[in-house]
Amino acid sequence: MKRLFRDTSISGRENLISFSLILPFLIIFCIFLLYPIIYSLILSFHRVTDLYDVFGGLKLVGGRNYTKLFHDVEFWWAILMTLYYAALSIPIGIVFSFLLAVFLVGRIKGSRIFRTCFFLPFVLDVFVVAIVWTLLYSSPYGIVMKLFELIGLKIPPLLSTPATSMPAIVAAMTLKNAGFGMILFIASINNIPQSLYEAASIDGVSGFAKHRYITIPLIKPVILFLVVTGTIASLSAFAEFYGMTRDGGPMINLKGNIVGITRVTGMYLFREFRSLKLGYAAAISFVLLIISLTISLISFRLLRER
Amino acid sequence: MSRRFFIYIFLIILVVVVLFPFFWMFVTSFKPQGTGLSMTIIPEKPTLENFKLVLTQYKFGRYFFNSFVVSTLGGIFSTLFAVLAAYSFAKRRFFFRNGLFFLFLSAMMVPGMMFMIPQFVIVSRLGWINSYKAMVIPHLANVFGLFLLTQFIRGIPNSLIEASRIDGASEIGVIYRVILPLSMPIVATVFLLSFQFNWNNFLWQLIVTTKESMYTVPVGLAMFRSAHEELYTLRMAASSISIFPIVLLFLFTQRYFIQGLTEGAVKG
Repeated sequence: MKRLFRDTSISGRENLISFSLILPFLIIFCIFLLYPIIYSLILSFHRVTDLYDVFGGLKLVGGRNYTKLFHDVEFWWAILMTLYYAALSIPIGIVFSFLLAVFLVGRIKGSRIFRTCFFLPFVLDVFVVAIVWTLLYSSPYGIVMKLFELIGLKIPPLLSTPATSMPAIVAAMTLKNAGFGMILFIASINNIPQSLYEAASIDGVSGFAKHRYITIPLIKPVILFLVVTGTIASLSAFAEFYGMTRDGGPMINLKGNIVGITRVTGMYLFREFRSLKLGYAAAISFVLLIISLTISLISFRLLRER
Repeated sequence: MSRRFFIYIFLIILVVVVLFPFFWMFVTSFKPQGTGLSMTIIPEKPTLENFKLVLTQYKFGRYFFNSFVVSTLGGIFSTLFAVLAAYSFAKRRFFFRNGLFFLFLSAMMVPGMMFMIPQFVIVSRLGWINSYKAMVIPHLANVFGLFLLTQFIRGIPNSLIEASRIDGASEIGVIYRVILPLSMPIVATVFLLSFQFNWNNFLWQLIVTTKESMYTVPVGLAMFRSAHEELYTLRMAASSISIFPIVLLFLFTQRYFIQGLTEGAVKG
């Protein structure tokens, strides 16, 4: 060790003090963030034989968890439903929060109060918000049902109908989370130099075209950020589904497999964990990790190319 | 003039839509039991019965206390650890500094669910199930907070630190007398965000508690929902209790929340 330090210009004492300042953080990081990833990888090649001794009671099964995963209809279904969720919630969320930002970015009076109102739900617990929505969506007497009745539309019970359960959850989550995107959009629109808009005005560019050609290209990084974090969050989304559809929503029969519409990867992983298939659940989570790392890397590339 | 008027109408409608669920939750929690699905906007005979029942008979008072302890401890210690480490990363030189910083930050790309199983195994192996330790300690390495603090502390002039050292201050003294006072806004941000994170950390608290006396508010709410599917007024009273502290905290400190979350996104 000593030789390593002698090569650099930093003294041993300096290193010692620096490291001891980092030590508390480092210890927690190693035990609860770094080691779990390594342990997950090890676990995914094993079957847990003794639940009371999850370190000793491991039986090596090689890649069997992964081959099983590959042929597991329920797993691929969960991936598909996660993509469905992401494909609905991310674009809708981006459009909605961008609209809010456009309305609030100018010199509108009371803009601060509006921002507070839109942002507030974002800091609240997803699970509790989901529980609140079970009241609003409850059928046949919930208020959402009654409102649709009022305008003369007959709708099925939203959370327990295959076609509507996912959109219903997306609607609830969009209203909850829009404030975050809004704040990011406002911050990045405020960073656009006013002179660009003035120049465009002199050239006779209309209000809408100004946004089309100036605002949107310049807020692309924010959109990309929301897409990437949204996708990664979708892969481990759990509480909104558990809160609104505890068992995975309306069931449908898929070639002899009973699958739930809202049994996304987070829900599926939780179920396998609860039924104590720890090795298999670890394999699932490792595949999810690889998927989200791939997404992150691709998006970094995209950002750098700009 | 008329255009501005329409924008206001539009914004007000949106505010009503976004906040309506919480308004409805709040109103329902004052309705007499068994009328949770009634459409009355202002309950004719508002009652505090739901809150009383939920807090005493259904022990949400205890769950609230647990949530409060977990969030406070989590907030304090994760902020403390992050400040110490951030100072070292921002202002000191040491072996493998940049590599270690990159390693820490890359943990942000890992989906949260990934840690659930191994963390559970470690915590149960340590015999921590049903304890505050189990709920707090695994989340004390706040990588996002470390990032925010390091960015900020880098901007503090070195001359201030040197002056303090010349006055005979130790490194802890430098942090206490120079770094902390100057970075108070961002320290507050990191504390608030990790308090809020722990308050809302439902899934983890669900899997590490099996004893009723250790439930936090959201865990208690999940158990209550399973046991009493139809008791909407009580469920909404419990939900109101659960979100109340965060709403209060947010309304008074929203500047810090918003600053932290935007800076993280813009720089990260």
